[in-house]
Parts: sequence; structure tokens; C-alpha cells
Amino acid sequence: MVRVLREIHVLWKRNLIKLFRVPMLLFFSLFQPLLFLILFSQVFSSMAKLPGFGYDNYLQFLVPTIVGLTALNSAFQSGMGMVNDIDSGLLDKFLIAPIRRSSILLGKVAADATRMAIQSVLIIAVSYVMGARVKTGIPGVLAMILIAVLFGIAWAGISNVVALRTRNAELTMLIGILITFPILFLSTGFMPAALLPDWLDTVAKFNPISYLVVALRALVNEGWDWTAIWPALAVTAGLAAVTLTAATRAFRKVIS
Amino acid sequence: MSILEAQELVKVYPGGQRAVDGISFSVEEGEIFGFLGPNGAGKTTTIRMSVTLLAPTSGRVVVDGVDVVEQPEEARRRIGYAAQSVGVDDDLTARENLVLQGRLHGLSNREARAKSNELLEVIDLLDEGDRRVGTFSGGMRKRLDLAQALVHHPRLLFLDEPTTGLDPQNRRALWKYLRGLNDSGVTIFLTTQYLEEADVLCGRLAIIDRGAIMVEGSPDVLKAGLGGDVVTVTLPGDATDELVFKARSVMAEVPGCSEVTIAGTSVSLVLRDGATRLAGLVRALDAAAVPVVRLELAEPTLDDVFLRHTGERLRVDEVKPPSRMVHGRRRS
Repeated sequence: MVRVLREIHVLWKRNLIKLFRVPMLLFFSLFQPLLFLILFSQVFSSMAKLPGFGYDNYLQFLVPTIVGLTALNSAFQSGMGMVNDIDSGLLDKFLIAPIRRSSILLGKVAADATRMAIQSVLIIAVSYVMGARVKTGIPGVLAMILIAVLFGIAWAGISNVVALRTRNAELTMLIGILITFPILFLSTGFMPAALLPDWLDTVAKFNPISYLVVALRALVNEGWDWTAIWPALAVTAGLAAVTLTAATRAFRKVIS
Repeated sequence: MSILEAQELVKVYPGGQRAVDGISFSVEEGEIFGFLGPNGAGKTTTIRMSVTLLAPTSGRVVVDGVDVVEQPEEARRRIGYAAQSVGVDDDLTARENLVLQGRLHGLSNREARAKSNELLEVIDLLDEGDRRVGTFSGGMRKRLDLAQALVHHPRLLFLDEPTTGLDPQNRRALWKYLRGLNDSGVTIFLTTQYLEEADVLCGRLAIIDRGAIMVEGSPDVLKAGLGGDVVTVTLPGDATDELVFKARSVMAEVPGCSEVTIAGTSVSLVLRDGATRLAGLVRALDAAAVPVVRLELAEPTLDDVFLRHTGERLRVDEVKPPSRMVHGRRRS
């Protein structure tokens, strides 16, 4: 057990060194969520005046979505990192070391989680400066980060499946964007369910991202609403079971 | 005692390609053993099966008494492996790369640091140890990759085409490191497509072609096995095929000759006691009115050995000149 933790720690640390060695990457992946945060909160600000919107202002409504978006974006970097490790021959170096194969994946997950957490904190800090307030305070912020990171890890499973099947970084990124964007806009992320057209409302109900956004939004605007949080965790667990199983399978196929 | 033993090793890839077709060999402790063969001969596949990265279709590999399929983790502790393409992390420094490998091989942080320092000195990168590997030249990366394979004191080192892509100067430098390593007791199994490398470095080698071992032995024994010197007669560049064939049949009649082959307007053969029989050969050509622009008598090379056992010459891609750009980044 101690040995396994050490292996994971060593690989986690290596990924973190990389993350901070190229800080541009950390910030560039935040660029798009920040742009959305700043632009949408201004462009759609008058939406808060619509009857049935139900939130103080659009910023309060938007911040949870952007935190979620950040985790999703970060998730798709995960697959690209995997492709790079395969291409550079580093994966072979890890495979030839007397460590458990699972440690390689867990070290990666741990590093992904750390990156997502750091990015979430930065987004929430910028939101705070812009005037957004989290109703549940610091514990609520921590809960938001935890939920977003867990969901992000589940989403990273998809990215890694794509990465391991295509072994192409550009394709992995492209497919990531192509999947994430429509699903994000087909959720209740930018518009409350009450204001969505009926068909979209139905689609959004089956969209895992909706559950993530609703839970985060509850923590920001309403309080510890467990009727929103539990479903999000359940959906995350279900999603993770599927994506991480598929990713592990794809990984086994690559290394055999 | 043999430290590496492969028995009837076979690898059939999905799709039916038999990359390795029943290879058996053994490597003795302390020697440098090489696989010489062209691209696609099955060299890399054999190495990847031996280092636990690829499952054999059938057959077995035993490293230091450990079956690599049955006990992969035990086997991994005993071997070091440097692939043909280097496996280094460009974003980390040389030292960080070495410490990472050391830690993954079970060294404590302190041990890994000490070992990294020691290895950086061995590969002459001590001053560059804290530079990011992305700024390294091809030769430096190759040396670092070699050092990475050594962090855990493996008794057996697998090197897949260790000098492919290096310029001659870096190639010779790497040979020096490999010899030093071997002198310090590390057994080396390497693959190469360079005749000179096999000749200079390997105590014993196997010539491999199309997934099978053609012949095995020390370079000297293999060359002596040809049974003579190699004589090459070159006709004028405008010689007709007819004339070249005529030269071949004239030369084939000379006593003590064998393995007559044609390459362009050159005809080569192996001639027993070449120096004493050469005059006879020249007289025969002269009598048959075959024009000769060049005549060469040489000791056989591994290429001649290769030719005899595979029916072809070992063609190698030209070595590229040293690249000024490494991974799109300018060398600093």
C-alpha cells in the first residue's frame, strides 16, 4: 500500500513539475473560461430581468457554469498529455519500471485533479473580484471544487479513451472541443431550465453536465441543497464508472 | 553462465505478420551481444518481448533466471532498456528525469539524487544537469536516455539501435560509454543496422533477417567463415549486361572462388588465399578481353557475411547530418 502510494506520488509530482514549468499552458486553458465569464456576464446581463429567471444577476448564475467548463476543458488536456507520453516514449519508460500499471493511471488522475482544483480556485477568485458571492462561503467553495474535480476526472476518462484510440494529440483536442461544446450548450448552463424550449429542456434533463451545473449553482446561490448535490454526485459516479472503465480498457490494449 | 536466454520466440502481430519467427539465442554474462539486421528484420520486436513491453505469441525469454512473462516485475528489476527513440521528458531537467526514473525503480529520494549525480558525470552532462531537456541536442538526449536505463544498476542492458540518427562523432562517443559500461560489468544486448557498430562493439552477434537468425558468432569467426578474401572487379560504367555476365562466368571458373555476385558493373567474389590467386584471376579476365577499371582485394566485412547468409547487402539509410533544430526548438 505504502509502495503504491509512493509510486502515485512520484508520478503525480512529475506531472505537477511539468504543469508549473510551462505556466502558459495553465493560463491558456483558463483563457476561454475567463473570456466566457467576462463576456457572457456582460452580454447576457439583462437576462436577469426576464420573468422566471430566478437569480439576482446573470453573473451569479454564470459562475458555476464557468467552474464546470474549466473542469471540462482541463479534462481534455488529460488525453493530450497521454498522447504526448506515448509519443515521447515516456509511457514505455513507466511500463518498464517495476511499478504497478494502475499507479501510472492513478498518478495521472491525481495530477489532473490538482490542475482542475488550481484552475477552479483561480476562476472563483476572478468571479469574486467581479462581484460574485458564494452563499455557502468557504466550505461551499471547497465543495464546489470537489464536485467539479470529480466530474472533471470522469470527463477526462472520455478524453483518454479518445487519446488512447487515436494516439493523436490534435485529434484528441478537436474531438474534446466538439463533444464538450454542444453538450455544454445543451445543458442548463447558460439558461435556466424554465426558459429553455421544451425539447431542449428534455435534452438537458439527460445531460450529465446539467446535474453538475445545478449542484454548483445551488452552492453559489441557494445553500447546501442536497437535492441538487446528491444527484450530481450520483451522475458523476455513473459517468466515471463508464468512462474510467473504458479508459482503463483502452490503456490495457495499448500496453499489451 | 547465460544471463539472457530466448527459446523459440515467435511474435505474430494482429493481421498475421510474423515479425519474429522462431528465434533462439543466449547472451552470456559480461559480453556485448548484438543483433545485426535491416529495418523490419524483427530486432525491435525481439527486444520489446524481452523487456516485458510486448507479449510473445509463443516461446519464452528468461532473464537472469526469471521468465519475463511469468514474473514481469522481477524481470524489470534486473534489466535496463533504452528504446530506439529516446524516452525523456522535455519539460523536466536532465537531473529531474534521472531522479524520476530512480524513484520509479524504488530508490529513495536521497539515493536517486546521488545516483543521478553520478550518472550525469559519467555521461558528461553534469554542467547541463539542471537544464531543461527540451534544449538538448540529439546526442545529449541519447546519452541521458542511456543514463536513465542505468539508475537501478541493471545487470543486463537492452539497447535498441543505440546510435541510429546520431552523427559519426556522437556515435563514437556513445561507443566509448558503452565499452566503459561493459568493462564495469554490465552485460549488453543491442540491435544495430550498422556494420561497423556490430564489428567494433560486439563480442558476438547474430545476423537477423525476416524474423529469423541466419548465423551467429563473433565478427572474426563469421568473417573467417567466408573462407577467403573478397575480390571486387569493376568494369567501365558503360559496360553492357552481357559483358558483366561474361566477367562473372570467367571469374567463376577461377579455382578457389565462391559467392560471385553482381552489383551494377561490379562483380565480387570470395577467393580462398586471395593474394596468391589474384594473378590467375587477372590473367583469365585479360584472356577473355574483359575491360577492368578497378580491382580490389579486401578482407571480408560483415556486409559480405550478411550477403552470404541473406542473399542481399545490408542497406542502411544515410546518417543525417547533425540537426540544428531539436524538436522545433533552437539549441541554446
